[in-house]
Amino acid sequence: MARMRFLCDTERCIDCSGCVIACKEGNHVPVGINRRRVITMKQGEPGEKSISVACMHCSDAPCIAVCPVDAIYQRDDGVVLVSKKTCIGCGYCFMACPFGAPQFPKGSVFGARGAMDKCTFCAGGPEENFSKEEKKLYGQNRIAEGKVPMCASMCATKALLAGDGDVVADVFRERVFNRGSGVNAWGWNKAYKKS
Amino acid sequence: MRRLIASGVLIMIVYAAVMVISTAIAAPTSMDGFTQFFSPENYGELYGGITGDWQKLGQPFTQLQSELFWKIFLGVITVIPGVFLLHFLIVGAKSFAHDGPQILFFNFFTRIVHWIGAISFALLVITGLLIIFGAIFGGGAPIRLARHIHIINAMVFAVIAVFMFLIWVKDMFPTFYDIKWIFILGGYLSKKKKPVPAGKFNAGQKAWFWLATVGGGIMAYTGYIIWGMNGDLDTVRLYTIVHNVLGMVLISLFLTHLYMSLFAIKGSLHSMISGYKPKEEVDILHSRYKYE
Repeated sequence: MARMRFLCDTERCIDCSGCVIACKEGNHVPVGINRRRVITMKQGEPGEKSISVACMHCSDAPCIAVCPVDAIYQRDDGVVLVSKKTCIGCGYCFMACPFGAPQFPKGSVFGARGAMDKCTFCAGGPEENFSKEEKKLYGQNRIAEGKVPMCASMCATKALLAGDGDVVADVFRERVFNRGSGVNAWGWNKAYKKS
Repeated sequence: MRRLIASGVLIMIVYAAVMVISTAIAAPTSMDGFTQFFSPENYGELYGGITGDWQKLGQPFTQLQSELFWKIFLGVITVIPGVFLLHFLIVGAKSFAHDGPQILFFNFFTRIVHWIGAISFALLVITGLLIIFGAIFGGGAPIRLARHIHIINAMVFAVIAVFMFLIWVKDMFPTFYDIKWIFILGGYLSKKKKPVPAGKFNAGQKAWFWLATVGGGIMAYTGYIIWGMNGDLDTVRLYTIVHNVLGMVLISLFLTHLYMSLFAIKGSLHSMISGYKPKEEVDILHSRYKYE
């Protein structure tokens, strides 16, 4: 079975936030919920880098470990999903997650958090595939349609890769090989420096 | 026209010169920084920016919550009642004559405060345990309701705890004979009616008082922070750990309090309903209490 993975190529990401918009629009994510976000380091300084972050769909995920109601589960292909009907909004997964992936909408009772919402790898949820309920609660189920997630499919520079981990790794390895890496990377020295 | 072209050319020459000079001066330093970014340290910094301060308490929290907390809670709610059951079967309940002279122990206001506190606290314990063992009940709406009941009762108890503190604090300061009480475990290991060193309240009740009021206050504050995540993430994690650990202690003492009032001393529950304790019971279990 393929293991689904995201990979963001920091040499290609241009901080356009297209992935964020695509995710929000494509899945009708409520305002204030960010399943995906772009982080920029060293902004305005030499060596500025951006990376797009969502749920990493970890193996042995800490969110699954801490959930008191076992609302979070991992599919065979590695995608970590949450059952919004089981979730009680306690927020433990947010405290355990290193990537800040779990998001909580405002609930009704005394500002209680609603059910947790996070990146689904565009694989819907525990409800029946392509059902109305699934679409309403979790957004699109593009994996069941045989497509890559919204964010990766629209990424203009193809910095964000998603899919079978082995294939993603091969694509990235080839890229790194072609452009060189570390001190051999293309840049000022390669282009202009006289040796 | 010629003047325009000449000035245009001049500007371009100046611009080109500035570019050449600036790159000659600035490029080697600034562009070196660019290539240096590919080092592992810089990638470490990048991922540090994403994962933030997870390593601070994220890992301890994850391990405690997933491996330890539920086991301790399970132990607390099984072992402690089990020990009490054994005590009840082996040692048995103490009983005092209730038809003799009576001493007023708790006035009406105290009893009302006690019972509002008792109901809200009992519901806090039950809903808290429901949240902890939510997986058994399948989560969802019932456990969500438990969370809502938990917060409502927390608000009730937070107010009541203040009244409880003010009512009882004058009788609750530790004394020397409390140590003796602890060493003989309050005389509960035998059925002999030997006077036990205790004032109006014994050492166990004092411990329960301080934990329920001051500890309850800490629970309310940490719970408020956890509820709204009103703080930076590491603080919320720390408070969640504190809330859980203190919860274990409070549930242990709550169960003890229940056993003592309902089973260990026969009819002692009536003192919180009518307000009166039998004189015989006071002379034995609260031998240092000077009543009028």
